[in-house]
Amino acid sequence: MRRLFPYLLVAPAVLYLLAITLYPGIFAIWQSFHFVKFGPWQWTGWDNYQQLFADREFWAALWNTLVMGSIALTLQCALALLLAYHAYRDPFVRGWRIIFLVPMLFMPSAVAFLWKLAFNDGRIVSDLLMRVGLIDANIAFQSSIPLARMTLILADVWQWTPFLFIIFVAALQSQDEEIEEAARLDGASWAAIFWNISLPLMRPVIAVAVILRGIDITTMFANVFIMTKGTPGGSTETISYFIYRIGFKTFNFGYASAASVLMLILTIIVAQVLVKRAFRSGRV
Amino acid sequence: MASQRRKRGQNRVVRYLILGSWALFCLVPVIWFLSIGLRPRTEIITPQPIYVPTLSLDAWNMIWSDWPMGSYLRNSVLAIVGSVAIDLVLAIPAAYSLSRYTYRGREDIGFYILSTRMMAPAIVAIPIFFLFRNMGLLDTIWALMLIYAAINLSVVTWIIRSYMMDIPQELEDAARTDGASDLRILWEIIIPAVLPGIITAAVIAMIFAINEFLFTLLIASTKNAYTMSVALANFTGGSDGVIYNAIALVAFLAFVPIFVVVVAIQKHLSRGLTMGAVKG
Repeated sequence: MRRLFPYLLVAPAVLYLLAITLYPGIFAIWQSFHFVKFGPWQWTGWDNYQQLFADREFWAALWNTLVMGSIALTLQCALALLLAYHAYRDPFVRGWRIIFLVPMLFMPSAVAFLWKLAFNDGRIVSDLLMRVGLIDANIAFQSSIPLARMTLILADVWQWTPFLFIIFVAALQSQDEEIEEAARLDGASWAAIFWNISLPLMRPVIAVAVILRGIDITTMFANVFIMTKGTPGGSTETISYFIYRIGFKTFNFGYASAASVLMLILTIIVAQVLVKRAFRSGRV
Repeated sequence: MASQRRKRGQNRVVRYLILGSWALFCLVPVIWFLSIGLRPRTEIITPQPIYVPTLSLDAWNMIWSDWPMGSYLRNSVLAIVGSVAIDLVLAIPAAYSLSRYTYRGREDIGFYILSTRMMAPAIVAIPIFFLFRNMGLLDTIWALMLIYAAINLSVVTWIIRSYMMDIPQELEDAARTDGASDLRILWEIIIPAVLPGIITAAVIAMIFAINEFLFTLLIASTKNAYTMSVALANFTGGSDGVIYNAIALVAFLAFVPIFVVVVAIQKHLSRGLTMGAVKG
């Protein structure tokens, strides 16, 4: 009984999570071998997978997710580091933190509408750029591939840079001030101290934060759903939106499940390799 | 010395220039969006954007009269509170087990719980949809409660676990020599000691639940289960399309309580957001 006790404590949570991950996983695998629309399931073997590997829209969705995700993540990381570097020993750091937090605390669906109005429906961004004299005519952000992607990236950077900022500031603040002082007495500049001492020390924290953000970026859905619906020409369709569209717009559930299964395999690999390592060393 | 001082002064100018610009970039869109919420619909989509609108409470009246805003609000609150309650009931014993005992498989169990955080909602969306359909739970707040709890369980468990690991072993040992049982120790010593962690976890779970979009979109189809986050996307009407002032106003309605709560737990925020990996 005593040896079982810790297992009993953790069992309810594990069972709950198994019900919500293992069961859907098995269900998706089983469904992915069937043709499922409205009628009964028809066994089709590997057909869905063969079709998927030949589906240009699927590869495009993967590619879009990768391109938009990596640009957004790089920008957020660089900006958050820059801001954290300037803020963490500032006397007003608490004030900065509260201000920078604001975008993060709006519902993502509302933020998506905010940028949709600013870029497209309300033409605010075009108007402002025209007033400054940068452009001569309205820009149709939604009909250019790079610009449509840019609007999604900007919305994500605006809302989620604070996530990384807050974590980086906390990590920097928790570092020993005496090391910095000693280095400064030796004549090292702020920038040199940050680059050579503070940054290497916070590497595990950066890893954890970037992984968490990276996961959320690659699962981006609400912004695509509200701002672009994948247009123009599927160039902003993320993998999450692809699965949603195939499943719930064309009702081709078996096919969508095949895509889910491939994503699941990818997730497990990423989780095993990256996440395990980051969270093991991440106990700062 | 003088040149060094000048350099430091320049540094400060650069610093405030950078931080100030980002602050503007954060706040200007928010203030402009607030102005959208407080203007009549005719002044939103215009040939020339209007920057100084006439103040109007049209949107406020509209959200209460044209939509069942009360239901959306109630659904959001019930689903969120219920899901956080489920999470705490499951996560506190789990975190206690993972942080205060050593046993075979502990690391793997902990990692399994963590790894569910990495799962994209879209991957399980279709099976979950079928599951809830078969259980007759589509378009109910029960389904939302269950799914929000599942999404947040890993986060809540890991945050609480991180706080529990900080409690010195002596505290527990002293109680044990007095003959207290493990469950009594959990209830009377551990839980009070990690209360800030539990509150932090609850707040973070609350934010994620409010923000949740994909599952809610699939589960909810009427006012029975629409939450604010998804109801927004249905604020359209007539030939003018999206009703932006109503959306903006609802966004602020949800923002204010979140902002207040988050400012209150500010000190714990970084630790919560990293699931306990960063002790800020």
